[in-house]
Amino acid sequence: MKAYFMIKIKAIDGGDGYTKALRELEAMPEVEAVEPVSGEYDLVARVEAPIRVILVANKIMDKEWVEGLHILKIEPAEPNPFLDEVCSLPGGESVRWCIQCGTCSGSCPNIAKMDYSPRKTIAMIRAGRRYDVLTSNSMWVCASCYLCTVRCPRGVKLTELMHCLECLAVRHNLTNGRTPTAVMYRTFVDSIKSNGRIYELGLMMKFYLRTSPFAALKMLPVGLKLLSHGRMPLKARKIKGTGQLKAIMRTAQALGGA
Amino acid sequence: MRYYSYFPGCSLEATALAYGLSTRAITSALDMELIELDDWNCCGSTPYGSINELESVSIATRNLALAEKTGLDLVTPCSSCYTTLNRANSYLRQYPELKGKVDEILASAGLDYRGGVKVRHLFEVIYNDIGLKTIESKVVNQLGGLKVAAYYGCQLVRPEPGFDNPNNPQSLDRFIASLGAEPVPFPLKDHCCGGSLVIPELDLALGLIHQLLESAASNGAQCILTVCPLCQTNLDAYQDMVNSRFRTRYNLPVLFFTQLLGLALGVESKALALDKSIISAERILAPFTMVAEPATETSRRV
Repeated sequence: MKAYFMIKIKAIDGGDGYTKALRELEAMPEVEAVEPVSGEYDLVARVEAPIRVILVANKIMDKEWVEGLHILKIEPAEPNPFLDEVCSLPGGESVRWCIQCGTCSGSCPNIAKMDYSPRKTIAMIRAGRRYDVLTSNSMWVCASCYLCTVRCPRGVKLTELMHCLECLAVRHNLTNGRTPTAVMYRTFVDSIKSNGRIYELGLMMKFYLRTSPFAALKMLPVGLKLLSHGRMPLKARKIKGTGQLKAIMRTAQALGGA
Repeated sequence: MRYYSYFPGCSLEATALAYGLSTRAITSALDMELIELDDWNCCGSTPYGSINELESVSIATRNLALAEKTGLDLVTPCSSCYTTLNRANSYLRQYPELKGKVDEILASAGLDYRGGVKVRHLFEVIYNDIGLKTIESKVVNQLGGLKVAAYYGCQLVRPEPGFDNPNNPQSLDRFIASLGAEPVPFPLKDHCCGGSLVIPELDLALGLIHQLLESAASNGAQCILTVCPLCQTNLDAYQDMVNSRFRTRYNLPVLFFTQLLGLALGVESKALALDKSIISAERILAPFTMVAEPATETSRRV
């Protein structure tokens, strides 16, 4: 829900309360914009209430600088099923907290390769651009270094958000054909499903067969070096609990989602 | 003697074989015992969490359920396993709906997990539980003069805060100093090596690896010290490829912290699997491996 609040400010000890009010309102995640107005009230604030408008109004009413608050108008939020879907996944809910400062984009080592920067990706999710986001390569070049996550001033879990987007792209079969990362990740998962552990040699061979067998030639020197140093076992290691893993995956599929 | 449940992770049986062997070689000298978790499975790492969230948390939790029975902290030398298992733990705490599903999934496999396992990184255990003072007192082979770049990588200090500063970590530098070696300034010490993207996005990863090698080499490092199997493989096995791509001549050995620690503790170099490195460390470690003689007592115990 979107709402407009008219707010009257009162003087607090040692100041007029106005600067403090502006600063604190701007810092609230629910407040989208604050503007000064003339007349009976001092400020108008546009808020996006995640649950109920009254909860946000009460939160503001509790501030020491509030003289009075009038709810001018409540607009129903435009339905955004894509935003709802992202928010339903663990970590995804944090997109609502973003203030679009761009710290994430400035921290990202792989931004040059991304169709849309992390900041822009969040803006697009909130604008409901499902197809553009899920077919982009942005999340598939995220290396999970978590620099954005620890630097975000709003606590947005950007790396986990990228994982959510990857899972959604897979679920809706929208993975971008230009990025081989999805193929590699799928091959990786297959290896766990059959053995319970990763079998590097098999993983590499399957990956290159599925993408570009010629690229394997380029990788041959690295593979041979690892082999000759005993770092690339020829045989897969299988755990005893593969039956347990199968049961886990079967039930997970039946329950669906996350 | 301190006891821990041990989760080596898939890489330590393959590309990072030396990490596993050198870990085994140092524990008795540090009065600690690592008891390998019986029948552990792959943690799922980043790839599984990017394909199917619910399944990935569930298979990671299978390990936690197995570990809970031991009543010990679960220790892993792999930064990716560390982050993935910790992530499962914190997701189960944070998202009750997810926890309900995971409980049901585990029950279908005859398992249950109450959330009582503490997941720890081997480096953090050695740094905090054993402590640098104890390590200093056990060093028989001072690594004086060896210039080392402390490479933390990403997932040792991120995303969970607490153990070290996530933007400017210091612990590994202090650890290097405690062995008598010299930690050099390394501005990119917590930057990314590309991780598993080196397979699908080779050019991207080579660029990152190149930057890291440049940062370490230009600061006079003789070798790079790492706490992560993926970092070691990327910087070691792909170094020649970086050299031909960027016309550089890096020749920087990339060692696991356990290998350098073992050397300082006087463990014989063979047990530390130094020969598994593709960029040989023999040249820079020769002065230290030769004086390993008084340490035979330690190595016999291994």
